[in-house]
Formats: sequence, C-alpha cells, structure tokens
Amino acid sequence: MIATQLRYDLLMFSRELFYVVFTLIVPPATYLFMGALFGGFTYAGNLSYAQNYTPSFILLIMFGVVFFSFGFDQVMNRVSGVEKRIALAPVPKRTLLLSAILKSIIVTSFGYLFVTLLGVFVYHLSLHWVNVLLSFGLFMLLNAILLVLSSAIFSFFKTVNGALVFSIVTFQIVMITGGFAMPIDRMPKFVQYMAEANPLYHMNQLFIAVWNGQFQLDRASIISIGFIGSCVLLALFALRFATRRQNRK
Amino acid sequence: MEIIRVEGLRKAYGAKEVLKGIDFSAEAGDIIGLIGKNGAGKSTFLEILLTLRSYEQGTVQLFGQELNQASEKQREQIRQQLSAVLQPTQFYKTLKVIELLKLFKAYYQSPLDVETIIADFKLSDHRKTYFDKLSGGWKQIVSLAIAFLSEPKMLILDEPTTGLDPHMRNMLWMYITEYNKRTGGTVLLTTHNMDEVELYCDRVMLLNEGVAEVFDSTEGILASGFKSIHEFYLTQVAV
Repeated sequence: MIATQLRYDLLMFSRELFYVVFTLIVPPATYLFMGALFGGFTYAGNLSYAQNYTPSFILLIMFGVVFFSFGFDQVMNRVSGVEKRIALAPVPKRTLLLSAILKSIIVTSFGYLFVTLLGVFVYHLSLHWVNVLLSFGLFMLLNAILLVLSSAIFSFFKTVNGALVFSIVTFQIVMITGGFAMPIDRMPKFVQYMAEANPLYHMNQLFIAVWNGQFQLDRASIISIGFIGSCVLLALFALRFATRRQNRK
Repeated sequence: MEIIRVEGLRKAYGAKEVLKGIDFSAEAGDIIGLIGKNGAGKSTFLEILLTLRSYEQGTVQLFGQELNQASEKQREQIRQQLSAVLQPTQFYKTLKVIELLKLFKAYYQSPLDVETIIADFKLSDHRKTYFDKLSGGWKQIVSLAIAFLSEPKMLILDEPTTGLDPHMRNMLWMYITEYNKRTGGTVLLTTHNMDEVELYCDRVMLLNEGVAEVFDSTEGILASGFKSIHEFYLTQVAV
C-alpha cells in the first residue's frame, strides 16, 4: 500500500507546476545566477561561493518542498474536501503520513544531489566523504524538523488563499533573512535582527558549518541549536492543540 | 439484518446544538432519503455515520459496533464496509480517472477489475482525463464508481444529483438502484429533489432544526393524505 501511495504522491508532485518551479527550478537557477554575480567572492570561514552556497541552496530546496508540497498541500486537501474523502477510505493515516514524508525525502534528496552536482561541475566544488555523510545525516534531521514546523504552521490555515499568500511571502522573507541571497553580516541591522528570529537562518549556519567540516560547539552553534529546538517544541505543542481541536469536531 | 442503529444522538458545534436526540435505524437493502432544509443537520448526521465526526450523546451502531467505543482499527474495518459520495465531490485533482480508480482499488483492496468499472460506468472516454477537468456530472459519476469499487454494504450519498442534468441524474439513479438490487446494500442519501425520494426511497426521515420529525415509509407518508412527497415537505417544513 505504501508503495502505491508513494507512487501517486510523487506523480502528483511532478504534475504541480507551481511546486516544481518553486522547489526544483527557482533555487538551482538562483544558485547559478548568484554564482555568476558573486562567484569570485570569499565568505565567512574563508569559504568559496560554492562551499558557502551549495548547502544553502540545498536547504532552500528542502524548505520549498516541505512548505509547498507538504504543508500547503495539506491545506489544499483539507479545504477542498479531499482530506475528508480520503479519511473515509480504509487507508491507515500512518500510511498517508509516511508516504508524504518519503515523498519529501525523495524530492529533497534529488535537490541535494542536483545542487551538489552543479557545484562540482560548474564551480569545481571538492567533496570530502566524511563531510558528505555528516551533512546528509544533518540534512535528514533538518528535513524532519521542517516537516514538523510546516505541519504545525499550516494546521492553522483554513483557506487556500491565506496559505498561498503566507507561503509566497515566507519564501521571500526566508530568502532574504536566511542568508540565501547575501551574507547576513552585509545586510542592514534590522535584517540581521530578523535573521536571528528565523529558524532557517540558524539551520543554514549549522548546515554550512557541517558541510565544510567547520562545525564547533561554540556559543553561536549552541544558540542556533537551542533556537531550532525551541521552535520544534512550540510546533509539537501546536500540533497537539490542532489534533485535539480536530478530534472535537 | 440491521445495519445502522442510532438512539438519542446529540451533536453540538460550540453552543449550537445541531442534532437534538435523533433515533434512526436501517436494515440491509433499505434505500432511505434524508430530507430537510439547509442547515437542518443532514450532513452532520451523515458525517457521524461515516465516522468523520464525533458526537456528545447517544449511541450510534454501525454493523453492530458502537462508534464512540471503536478503536482506530475497528473504525478502519467499518470504513471497509461503507462508501460515500460527498458534497462537494473532490479527489486529487492532478490524478487521471484511471489513476484514481487504481488508487482507491488499492485502498479498499477491491477484487473488482478497474476496466470492468470503467465499462460499467461508461468512463472509457474519460479514463485519461484529470479529475479536475471533468464536468460536475462526470465528477459525480467517477465518485460513484469509486464508491462502488469497494462493493460497500452501506452507501451514503450527500446530495448526489445536485447540479446534474436529467440524463446524468437518471444514469446515477440507475447505478444506485442496480447496486441496491444486486448486492442488497443499504443506501442512505440526502436530497432536495422530492420526486427522487418518492420514486426511489423505501423510507424517509425528515430532519427539522436537528429533530427527526418524521421517519416513515414513503407509502406510509403518501397514505396519510399527501399527494406527493413534495407536498408533504412543503406542508411540514416552514420557509
């Protein structure tokens, strides 16, 4: 059953132009465009463009996939009545959830591979297998964290329009304050403050550090881990609240 | 054989009570029409029977199982035996008709051949059409085809003929009555079309402000002096 559900989930993802464009086309295209503009710069930690932005854009793809095709999809199915019709079928909820998670992992892993290969072939990025393994492990963990955050956030939406506007605005904010467009330390002060409140910024910092073998358990990384952990706890609390509300219906 | 038994069912949304002590029962093979104004509680009643909504008071037994005491596994087993056409009819919009049928065949682990269902429901011309691109009538037919895939013991239809042209409506009723005769399945439906109730339903329940004011056979209602179910409805339900 899980294989059938996953097959159709992936098929539906591939047919949603909006998802494909925002998750698998825009981030790699931006990665190449930004590389053409700032490819010669050196970034914090003495990193090259590819060393700094390859993990960033992998994370951006992950964000796009999880927020659009997992979170936003949930709202669409809930509002349109699809969720209700599926709930009537004798398919276990855990099968549907597991399939959605596997879909997210498969699509984001494709993004991981795609951007990494772009980095290798376009920017001569060199890979060290220990760092690749560690960063893939962190990538899976961040995937799980984003799934929890996305599920919690989108559980509050009752209209597709509201969720759509939120998704697009959030995508822009995340691009700017997550360190995906320009290094945050070169941005105005207010953007730097905003970045501190953006979990994607903290994830990005950790992911870049692990990807390049520069991770240290220092004050900055502890703050990042603590902030992400707090967001997950809040999200789990929100999800519990949403489940209770659902059960009362 | 009794399929549904409901006693003293009460349901509220916040302070608003929408079902105020419903008693109801259905036997295998019954076709029962649920009628009443918009907001009378019909859809809520059906959604409780479909295991989609909780309820505060009363008992609801489906196939002998009390819903409020059923585990998730038992609810799945109940769902295996029932199917529905909901209002509005919605499925994954980016799947084609043939893909939807195959997916739901997997959900219900149905032994029926998808090609037979396509032939039975005259869906050959639409097999590769995305669900979202179908007309309202064909969406209803696909929904009904999916409902029949599981050969359900109970079929619940929420305003199944709303928005259909007369040919589509006839076709839909042909499938429903044929299913009922062939399998002895129970059909419970809501509709605002009283002619359909008179033509096809064995029994009628009139819901008004959350109260089951009348629950009688169609013949019984007509024998009580009404020329038609339409007249009965207009007499019983205030504007």
